[in-house]
Amino acid sequence: MAGDLVSTLADLKEKEALGIVQDRLSAGDDPLSILDDARRALEIVGKRFADSEYFIPDLVYSGEILKGITDMVKPKLAKAAEVKRLGKVVMGTVAGDIHDIGKDIVVFMLDVSGYEVYDLGVDVPAQKFVEKIKESGAPIVGLSGFLALAFDSMKETVEAIKAAGLRDKVKVMIGGGQMSEEIRKYTGADAYGKDAMAGVTLAQKWVGAK
Amino acid sequence: MTAFTIDFEPVGLRGKCRRNESLLACARRLGVGISSICGGQGTCHSCKVQILSGTVSKPTSNEPEVFTSQELKEGWRLACQTYPTSDCKLTVPPESMTTPQRVQVEGLEITVHPEPPVQAYRLQLAAPSLSAPRADADRLLQALNQQHQLHCGKVDINALRILSDQLRSWNWECQAVVRNDEVIALLPRPSHQLGLAIDLGTTKIAGYLVDLSNGRTLAAKGVMNPQISYGEDIISRITGVIQLPDEGVPVQKLAVEAINELSADLCAELGANTEEIVEAVVAGNTAMHHLFLGLPVRQLALSPFVPAVSRALDVKAGDLGLRIAPGAYVYLLPNIAGFVGADHVAMLLATEVLQAEGPIVALDIGTNTEVSLVNKEEVATVSCASGPAFEGGHIKNGMRAATGAIERLRIADDSIQYQTIGEAPPVGICGSGILDALSQLYLARIIDEGGRIVENHPRVHTYKGQREFVLVSKEERDGQPAITITQQDIRELQLAKAAIRTGIQVLLEANGCSEDEIKQVIIAGAFGTYIDVANAVAIGMLPSLPLNRFRQAGNAAGMGAKLALISLSKRAEAQAVASRVKYIELASAPNFEQTFIQAIYLGRYRIIDGRREEID
Repeated sequence: MAGDLVSTLADLKEKEALGIVQDRLSAGDDPLSILDDARRALEIVGKRFADSEYFIPDLVYSGEILKGITDMVKPKLAKAAEVKRLGKVVMGTVAGDIHDIGKDIVVFMLDVSGYEVYDLGVDVPAQKFVEKIKESGAPIVGLSGFLALAFDSMKETVEAIKAAGLRDKVKVMIGGGQMSEEIRKYTGADAYGKDAMAGVTLAQKWVGAK
Repeated sequence: MTAFTIDFEPVGLRGKCRRNESLLACARRLGVGISSICGGQGTCHSCKVQILSGTVSKPTSNEPEVFTSQELKEGWRLACQTYPTSDCKLTVPPESMTTPQRVQVEGLEITVHPEPPVQAYRLQLAAPSLSAPRADADRLLQALNQQHQLHCGKVDINALRILSDQLRSWNWECQAVVRNDEVIALLPRPSHQLGLAIDLGTTKIAGYLVDLSNGRTLAAKGVMNPQISYGEDIISRITGVIQLPDEGVPVQKLAVEAINELSADLCAELGANTEEIVEAVVAGNTAMHHLFLGLPVRQLALSPFVPAVSRALDVKAGDLGLRIAPGAYVYLLPNIAGFVGADHVAMLLATEVLQAEGPIVALDIGTNTEVSLVNKEEVATVSCASGPAFEGGHIKNGMRAATGAIERLRIADDSIQYQTIGEAPPVGICGSGILDALSQLYLARIIDEGGRIVENHPRVHTYKGQREFVLVSKEERDGQPAITITQQDIRELQLAKAAIRTGIQVLLEANGCSEDEIKQVIIAGAFGTYIDVANAVAIGMLPSLPLNRFRQAGNAAGMGAKLALISLSKRAEAQAVASRVKYIELASAPNFEQTFIQAIYLGRYRIIDGRREEID
């Protein structure tokens, strides 16, 4: 039964997936286990995306199906059993750069993987990152940038976080375009991710380590 | 015997044929790229041309094997076997052209009343004497006034430096070249008054030598932009430049030197001197424009993407290092925005969209694709980051349009038919072939509308964990690695074509136009000229309109630069357009993201409010 929802959702069969959820809810199945299956399915979607099997519209579609599922499940959730979030992440494309598609994919993957993501958008000044970190208390920061010129903005953002006295309270990951260990060192970030899945893996590592 | 003039169409290039020179040899010397695999032996039959007028040598023994008697009657010949016996006009069909030349210079010729910014005036000066020791330059200005009622107050300093020697060696007889109220050069009588139009592309530079008195193109040639070693696309070029210690100086010189060589070659074809070039026009994208002038480019690549200067400029050629007439000016067409440059202005000028009834969509496809919508005298423009995929970049077996590139492709049942440039054995696939492949794979249902390769075809394989479609197998290439289209390639192409479609859609929405209202879609640029429009429509890169509404305009930027070269009214028009254009930043347009995601899908559809509506 449970395998059904995981594979159906991973194959992006919207009607069937929603049907299975309906059946399981009627059968009195635990809503939290349904959400857990959905999350596992989305992990498969993420892997298929990383392998070029799925593409951006497929990700968006899987998100839409997931929303349909959570809308059905939510009313059945006991008030106390709000969906548990794994952790908070502040994300944005750094100042001077307005590329958002890569950043949006990471936001999506983190979101479906159970993180609460504060998406600051594109062309985000360093100070805005600092303010959001203070306000949210998020322990993870993701800096996205496609242009080589964005490396300087990433460096400036990390320095601004340091200047605000927050550097040892957050882990910083960078991604987008041509990332490498050299660039990570230059920017002063803690890690770089080569794709959206790598971003999720980093977040899991950092949250687990806390 | 005097040399015959040969007119090569449709490139519109004319030149003298030397004694005992075949049409092929003449074409090569003039830079008309006629394909020849056998090297002029008459055996490969790739240099077919059609003589439209004039007389030529009799067919050699090879030629009746190639052509029917009817074709011979219609003037079809092999260029390598044919020698002119009078002035000739001939057509070089596309299949006989080598791609590098045809993508660089060809464009639709528009005739315009010549109204050049410079004029040459014949002068006969009185030699000075002890009783009339007036200075040489003053004597010249006085003669202009007396003989031509012209009040000139200035002489260019570089012209001044050689003027005394010139006047004496020409025995006080000369032509004064005047621009506004300034003498910019002296020329002997007789001489040409040439203009140089340059389309300064990121990848290629096309140059045209034009007779300023009648606007005719006398010679054309294209070369690679040597700045390419600093980065292939605009962003990486800018990044490469700003990392240099002396930001841009060597890069500026590279472009100038390439243009100097190009103009020397063009002049050599006519037996002219580069000092007879008395005016130049350069049209390039904003980054190429800035790098050519030695202007800073850093701010161009960062949001909000502001150019150092947008308005049209007149710069002394000597200040830039261009070797043409000593005091000549280079006119730079105006830019529109950081990512929409003078080349797009030139294209709008050349395609005459501004005079037409709208709505018209005009686009120049490249790594950056600029799209304009012209409607009721309003012009709105976007720039789309379409990426290098259509130039063969980021594609596993992609390559530029050069010999051996698959440029056309059909899939019929299990067989694949393709055509390579130069009819050479296939070595890779270039932009037009890549587009054909995407469309044909989709139409043959080998990829679904989401772009996924389906495992239902004998040519679909999995290689290193990724599906790919084999275009030319290892066996078909005698053991060399297969040429394939991978799943990742298809993803790159989907992003590229979605960017273009999104640009068009955003413009339509911003102007409250529907797709069906578009009267014409003009596609300019090298890639745009050679694509199969039906295939571009089939994958949803272009709106689903009747094919007769599409027009492929060739190198319109080069044509626009030529118009600006010979006509002051066209310059005024360019400045007016550039200041009238409403630039829209694509990423900040409403519905941008939804539209982009929908446009990734393959197929024929309309996009309405970010939703896709399929068209049967």
